Amino acid sequence: MTWHIPSDMLADYQDGRLDSVRTMSVEAHVSRCEPCRSAFAPDEQWLVGSWDGVLDVIDQPRRGMLERFLCQLGIPEDRVRLLVATPALRRSWLLAMGAVLLFAVLSARLGEGDSPRRFLLFLAIAPVLPVLAVAAAYGPHVDPVHEIQVTTPMAGPTLLALRSTAVLVTSLLMGVVAAAFLPAPGWLAVAWLLPALALCLASLALSTAMAPQVAAPLLGGCWVAALVVAVGLSDNEFVVFGPAAQAGYVLAGSLASTILIWRHRRLDPGERR
Amino acid sequence: MTATVRITGFRKSYGAVRVFDGLDLNIGTGVTGLLGPNGSGKTTLLRCLATALASDAGELRILGYDPRDPGQRTEIRRRLGYLPQDPGLYPHFTSFELLDYVATLKELTDRRERHRAVRQALTDVDLADRAKMKVRKLSGGMRHRLALAQALLGDPHVLILDEPTVGLDPEQRMRQRALISRLGESRTVLLSTHQTEDVTALCERVIVVFRGEVGFDGAPSALAELAAGKLWLTAEPPTGGQLYWRTGDNRYRVLGARPDGGTPATPSIEDGYLMLVGSRAWVSA
Repeated sequence: MTWHIPSDMLADYQDGRLDSVRTMSVEAHVSRCEPCRSAFAPDEQWLVGSWDGVLDVIDQPRRGMLERFLCQLGIPEDRVRLLVATPALRRSWLLAMGAVLLFAVLSARLGEGDSPRRFLLFLAIAPVLPVLAVAAAYGPHVDPVHEIQVTTPMAGPTLLALRSTAVLVTSLLMGVVAAAFLPAPGWLAVAWLLPALALCLASLALSTAMAPQVAAPLLGGCWVAALVVAVGLSDNEFVVFGPAAQAGYVLAGSLASTILIWRHRRLDPGERR
Repeated sequence: MTATVRITGFRKSYGAVRVFDGLDLNIGTGVTGLLGPNGSGKTTLLRCLATALASDAGELRILGYDPRDPGQRTEIRRRLGYLPQDPGLYPHFTSFELLDYVATLKELTDRRERHRAVRQALTDVDLADRAKMKVRKLSGGMRHRLALAQALLGDPHVLILDEPTVGLDPEQRMRQRALISRLGESRTVLLSTHQTEDVTALCERVIVVFRGEVGFDGAPSALAELAAGKLWLTAEPPTGGQLYWRTGDNRYRVLGARPDGGTPATPSIEDGYLMLVGSRAWVSA
């Protein structure tokens, strides 16, 4: 090179005061002239930050449909990452739940006669599914990574509450959609909602004393047994869905919530109970 | 030695089976190896220290925190890296996604910072080029290295590693040892292993656990010394009921009383370990 960029022009370039033509001229020269290039002090911090930014974009894990949907709902990205790993939110689980609900709806629609008894199967199953989903949201037998995640600071109540809420909302929504296709009177189609909520809260409260995978089937079994007894003994087979029973579910749900808040620190399945 | 892990009167049972009945140990910075036969309680002890399992009685203190208290347990977990014996991984996640998930569980909420930590952990275990590969497509050794990588996330002060080199080829085992050794310079690393070579290469202290008790606690060289004067090489198998095995050069390595025609041999850690555990097993049999 026979000439070099004057120092005042270099200073103007670095400060962004040159017009576009001169800027291009300086850049063309600098790309071929080592002495002029060395006049620029590299900004290490900027370089590392920019490179990190590039890598961050490259490494960004590909988001699935569920993850994108949850992000659009405004849930923070780090929470969404925790939710998408929930075993009970996997496609196989959702498909299984959908299939069971579909079967219950079809049996109600195709059942013979006008007897409201044909809705009983749906009403028996719909509250149990969210409970089972909650049980399958967190634990050593349902989650392959459990042994690793149980020793992290998010383990226990935080993660269990997060995942339980997610699967509860999902399974209740599926139940509501299924109920819309039920040829039943309006009140009967939603009569399972309060029992479902009460059972879920009770199973979480019981999980402070035993594993969720034991608590959920236990309560689910109690629910089915209560239903069978009511149908067998009472003149009104829908007595467990009547106004008095619904008030009882509200009361039971409140009681379970109180126990849950009181004992939430024991929701740590890694610990001996 | 400043103890970062204190174990006092530790007891643990599974039903009627008592695994530990009053274990006392102090462990400080550096790499400490835990040796012992299958079923001796190594994994139980590590799981209790990693807060995955609660003790029945006694006192555990990790970095001064008590794992029985929920708040202090979380403080331990913030400073802990744990590699379980049989680490399960989500097969449908990529290596990067899996570490990203664990990093989130370790409260690395800032995405850029989290991704930087994940990249570093992948580089540390030599899996940077497998970042986008699904876990189910990784080989067994790679999966094990990925499991170790998750333990390194969050810059833990205490690392609890249950058989960190199992299933690795010799080259990867060497790299893993170099990494663990480097980590042990400033952290407490407690590892359980069946590989006595790992203990020789890595540990400045070795603890042999046998039937719920500490059978040996000292330097690896001192463990090898237990077999000094009790190890022999012979051309024929011994007839005195000693423990022996045939070596690659068709001779017999004999542990115990001197056999006929036996010449003294230099003991290794494995010989010392067999001397210790074998003799106890014989005594109690």
